[in-house]
Amino acid sequence: MRPLLRSFAIAALALCAGVARAEDLGERMVRIPAGTYAPLIRGADEAERVPVAAFLLDARPVTNAEFLEFVRAHPKWQRSRVSPLFADHGYLGDWAGDLELGARAPAGAPVVRVSWFAARAFAAVRGKRLPTTAEWERAAAAGFTTADGATEPGFAATVLAWYTKPSPTALPAAGSGRANSLGAHDLHGLVWEWVDDFNTAMVTGESRGDTGLERTLFCGAGAAGARDLTNYPAFMRVGFRSSLRANYAVPNLGFRCAQSISP
Amino acid sequence: MKTQFALVLSLLAAAGLARAADAPACCAVEKPAAAKDACCAAEAPKPAVAPCCAEEKATAPLTARSIYQLESRFTDDAGRSAQLTSLRGQPVMLAMFFASCEYACPVLVSDIQRLRAELPAAVREKSRVVLVSFDTARDTPAALKAYRERMKLDGAWTLLHGDAASVQELAMLLGVKYKQDARGQFSHSNLITVLNPEGEITHQRAGLMGDVSELAKAVVLVAAAK
Repeated sequence: MRPLLRSFAIAALALCAGVARAEDLGERMVRIPAGTYAPLIRGADEAERVPVAAFLLDARPVTNAEFLEFVRAHPKWQRSRVSPLFADHGYLGDWAGDLELGARAPAGAPVVRVSWFAARAFAAVRGKRLPTTAEWERAAAAGFTTADGATEPGFAATVLAWYTKPSPTALPAAGSGRANSLGAHDLHGLVWEWVDDFNTAMVTGESRGDTGLERTLFCGAGAAGARDLTNYPAFMRVGFRSSLRANYAVPNLGFRCAQSISP
Repeated sequence: MKTQFALVLSLLAAAGLARAADAPACCAVEKPAAAKDACCAAEAPKPAVAPCCAEEKATAPLTARSIYQLESRFTDDAGRSAQLTSLRGQPVMLAMFFASCEYACPVLVSDIQRLRAELPAAVREKSRVVLVSFDTARDTPAALKAYRERMKLDGAWTLLHGDAASVQELAMLLGVKYKQDARGQFSHSNLITVLNPEGEITHQRAGLMGDVSELAKAVVLVAAAK
């Protein structure tokens, strides 16, 4: 009887802990089932939908507290020590110091002003990686209650609302936004997020100067090749990604990690 | 002298570069042409016995802006593996490409040939061209060797194959965008980067078939700086 009681008590405690923790998602990952990604802009002979294998994705973006722990353990990623090649002068610019968060960087808020290199190093330490564009977009296409946000009433308006208001000085906690139907929070409405292959977004001012794909030119031919001209946030993301360099550390740009599922 | 050498070795080991010591370094600065060939030419896979100049020069730590901080290893078209830091000590013209490219890459190569033709002979001899392929699947060292023969590239050219992560990281550092399309072709930036002997980016040119004199000036400049 006694051992049974004890296990009851333990179960109850665990349950309580579970409830108490529901607020903080920690580094929990959600499983994103296999699906497809429909690129906003694609080449002439590219498929309309690209298959995406099932993978794991952090339920929320990485926080300042988690990134602080990372730079503590890996001093070469501290603000005053990082090579300008891997993170520009804006790196962790909201923090009060190398190892101090301060008022503009609450512990639970998503870390921003991190470079692609730094985000990738953080992920590698945890045995994770950054999601690809296809993976991120596949996860972010889910609605709040249905599998496809594009056809869910009110979803597009909620996503768009973020673009209409400026970000607060100190960002809200990561994970505080409503989860989508796959259990991922804040894919929209909190920060921009790095993707591993952001440099495949080729929007350029001059096709001869840069790439051979004139169809990806913005405004002109680019928009003509776009899948959905009403998907304003998708245009914003393509434009934003194409403007990045891997050492940029800019406001409102954070990240979350992904992991492959071994077959 | 001996202690100095030991110090160099321990520094290399400390920097995690110990393995670079057994990889042939491609260096052309103070070595006579024959030595350069032994180091770098495709048809001379002789093991490097004496340490090459790159190792000797690796005493000072890399500068904060040196892209030679990348630790990944690449394999050249003779099958030799080395880190980019083995290029240290000479001006480098670096471009990314893929061997089965039908349009842009041959133009990129001919642009670099025009660029080299504009260089004063002394600068041309001590500078190196490095082509890194983003076609990590098809551009094996053997495929790169065939490319060297097809394009008639001499010993001043180094053709490198790397794994997907290393190639991506290098592309990110250089600002090269690339994307494989459904046919397996890549759309990509056409970027020629000039590196000084420390591996710092001093000049980049985007585009094809344009004037190469600015590039040539940049190479002469880094060759003159000591």
